[in-house]
Amino acid sequence: MNTIIEPFRIKSVEPIYFNTKEERKYILEKAFYNLFHIHSKDVLIDLLTDSGTSAMSSNQWAGIMQGDESYAGSPSFFKFEKTVQEITGMPLVIPTHQGRAAEKILFSILGGKGKYFVSNTLFDTTRANIEFTGAQGIDLLCAEGKLPSVPAAFKGNMDIEAFKNFIAEKGAANIPLCIITVTNNSGGGQPVSIQNIKKVKEICIENNIPFFIDACRFAENCWFIKQREKGYADKSVKEIAWELFSYADGCTMSAKKDAFANIGGFLAMNDETLAMQCRNLLIITEGFPTYGGLAGRDLEAIAIGLQEVLDENYLQYRIRSIEYLTNKLIEEGVPVMQPAGGHAVYLDAKEMLPNIAASQYPAQALAGALYTEGGIRSVEIGSLMFGKYDEHKKLIPAQMELVRLAIPRRVYTQSHIDYVAEVIIEVYKNRKQIKGLQIIEEAPALRHFTAKLKPLF
Amino acid sequence: MKKIKRSWAEPYKMKMVELLKITTSAQRKKALQDAGFNTFLLKSEDVYIDLLTDSGTAAMSDRQWAGMMLGDEAYAGSKNYYHLENVVKNVYGYKYLVPTHQGRGAENILSRILIKKGDIIPGNMYFTTTRLHQELAGGKFEDIIIDEAHDAENEFDFKGNIDLNKLDRLVKKHGVSKIPYVSIATSVNMAGGQPISMKNLKELSSYCKKQKIRIIHDMTRVAENAYFIQQKEKGYANKSVKDIVKEINSYTDGATMSAKKDALVNIGGFLALNEWDIFEEARNMVVVYEGLHTYGGLAGRDMEAMAIGIAESVDDDHIRARVGQVIYLGNKMLEYHVPIVKPIGGHGIFVDAKKFLPHIPQKNFPAQTLAAEIYLDSGVRTMERGVVSAGRKANGENYYPKLELVRFTIPRRVYTQAHMDVIAESAARVFEKRNKIKGLKMIYEPKYLRFFQAKFEKL
Repeated sequence: MNTIIEPFRIKSVEPIYFNTKEERKYILEKAFYNLFHIHSKDVLIDLLTDSGTSAMSSNQWAGIMQGDESYAGSPSFFKFEKTVQEITGMPLVIPTHQGRAAEKILFSILGGKGKYFVSNTLFDTTRANIEFTGAQGIDLLCAEGKLPSVPAAFKGNMDIEAFKNFIAEKGAANIPLCIITVTNNSGGGQPVSIQNIKKVKEICIENNIPFFIDACRFAENCWFIKQREKGYADKSVKEIAWELFSYADGCTMSAKKDAFANIGGFLAMNDETLAMQCRNLLIITEGFPTYGGLAGRDLEAIAIGLQEVLDENYLQYRIRSIEYLTNKLIEEGVPVMQPAGGHAVYLDAKEMLPNIAASQYPAQALAGALYTEGGIRSVEIGSLMFGKYDEHKKLIPAQMELVRLAIPRRVYTQSHIDYVAEVIIEVYKNRKQIKGLQIIEEAPALRHFTAKLKPLF
Repeated sequence: MKKIKRSWAEPYKMKMVELLKITTSAQRKKALQDAGFNTFLLKSEDVYIDLLTDSGTAAMSDRQWAGMMLGDEAYAGSKNYYHLENVVKNVYGYKYLVPTHQGRGAENILSRILIKKGDIIPGNMYFTTTRLHQELAGGKFEDIIIDEAHDAENEFDFKGNIDLNKLDRLVKKHGVSKIPYVSIATSVNMAGGQPISMKNLKELSSYCKKQKIRIIHDMTRVAENAYFIQQKEKGYANKSVKDIVKEINSYTDGATMSAKKDALVNIGGFLALNEWDIFEEARNMVVVYEGLHTYGGLAGRDMEAMAIGIAESVDDDHIRARVGQVIYLGNKMLEYHVPIVKPIGGHGIFVDAKKFLPHIPQKNFPAQTLAAEIYLDSGVRTMERGVVSAGRKANGENYYPKLELVRFTIPRRVYTQAHMDVIAESAARVFEKRNKIKGLKMIYEPKYLRFFQAKFEKL
């Protein structure tokens, strides 16, 4: 049998409101061509993010009802702590209200002017948090990771030679942390191999650089390892995860991804002194160390979700459904990131809209067209998100111009996905009608969230 | 004939319960030892009645739970955000809303936007996290509460009031440019949940208008404050708590809110503003610390629960039962001659540890000691609000606050009258054997907000 069915059925549904193309044109204009400004009720299929948008299981909802809301020492915390320890092997667990809060705390301690945080690719909020401290974020992605249309097994790997060279150039003392994102979100949800992580770890040990994992999508990454890396086919995802984390000194996690939670995150680590420093900061902006700014019920939901994501039937379904959409698009010639990633389909706007220059934000224009055509909300990962200005206020474009269609976990059915494919193919056929955009208002940091744009005529 | 008493009862019944564990004296002794005599470090399953805080511990209503099921978890533009925005506008009267995961998230953002190095922030008594954020942003807190507030015995009705002369002296000394805003709390927590009067607020507002100084409102217990105004201030007896809340807010320019108190939720907070420029800056900053400005680090369902909770919190019957329960407990303690802060405040009973344990000097933490003894006696968990909470000055010296209190904070809608009886009786029993109680020594002290994680041992 070729069809892979979901290892669950639907227990509670949420209505979708339909609108017309004409209405959507108007809504997009009112939202200044920025999909972050659109009310969710005006969206048919919301693929803006897979973060915090999962459908929780009935077990998680039961956990929600059992949450102990004591300010200090809640059993929900101890259950959460134990689960994280069992999966990561890291003894010190610190809850936070989201992943970015975990990053914020870690980078406030390790960051500062003149320092470099090295990564395969840093995500937008991660980079913003690093730069907020005055430090710089450095992406050292392997060469194949930068070529959207060329398939390779582990396009999220770090470029080992570049890492060595970078250390030689800047000095290990100026690199407080190496942090690998699994899977590599900005680079197409592509996995990192155990072999690559081992090598990175060796270099880190030689140079005395602490090594962390940004673990948001660790289970999806481990599933790819099981499928693609030699020697892992017979290991369970749980064992692979254990090995993956064993190479790291710590991790940051947004539980809104692979832990199926709607809110929450954590830091886990081995070093007691660093953990103490983290807890001191935690109390200022997050909350007491046994709740970290989360309701007790959310700690329960995360603990249960972390167990559920290790179910291999689920992971098989999850990864295959991303592949399903990717392959449909490839059949019709739509330029997409290959191979399919773990949590999203990435359209290559540079290739699809060669007539629109980076300074006219082709991926943002494409995302707008998908909304108008079918009410699909996606997100630009290109020069609007990652572009910078040089000293003459000229745009330094991002490496890639991608539109990410992130698939929420356990939310949409196959017929929703078929509809998405049809909309994309329709837009692709009429791509010549898409016009570039121009920014009319922007914030100094993380501008893509609030920027206002208008079309060029 | 005996006079017939007219009791009030709660305007709700129980729909879901949470089972409690009863512990033995030996179990409690061990748990306390393991927690380093710090009630914050006790595991909640070893606690019988948890009066550590009224923050995030409320029982939500069935309507709020229904709202939880209507959570719209979209990353941007969630329906629940627009609902909440609407409620904040209609019930509280503030124009612009930035949700945050808790009150301290809002304080962090506000302090970073408004405070420059060397600024002075006058306020009606410090609160731990508020003052810390002000200090981390380079500012210095100055207490301008009336002197009566520092006297646990004084029975003035509005001990949360501001002494305008103190404020004026600060303005004259430092100049308006050094004062980004006056920080006022309704129901002043550290003073024992004491209210501020509308008259005082009006005077403060007209003074600040003249001087062009903003008033920022820590509104976490605004409804409880409004109830005291309704009960005690001339001219307000016939006004609803809802109207009084709106009037209070109208004298201020913005607010930070921990919705975990008055608004009856387990998580959530916000920053509310009337000035567009500050709002816009806050919206850009919230993305870095909390989350996109239409969710601010909260699940959609939690914004929905908050919107419903806010509307419930300003209901007259709800507030009367809420504060009535606190007053019931306070009166019981007074019957047993336990020394408490008077008048009785809105969210808890504050026991005066200096009077309770006069033989223990402040350096041996009488309030911390008393909190530990109460737990040992009955499994009731309370919190120190004295020298440990006050922390250290910039030069390393301890702050020695006049008030050395143990706070018995009552969670909203959680405990029954029988629970209140157990609590009062336990306080009475410890009071009976007070002379045998010995003080504590601090053996671990964290850098920030030490009361959360400090450890002690018996002398």
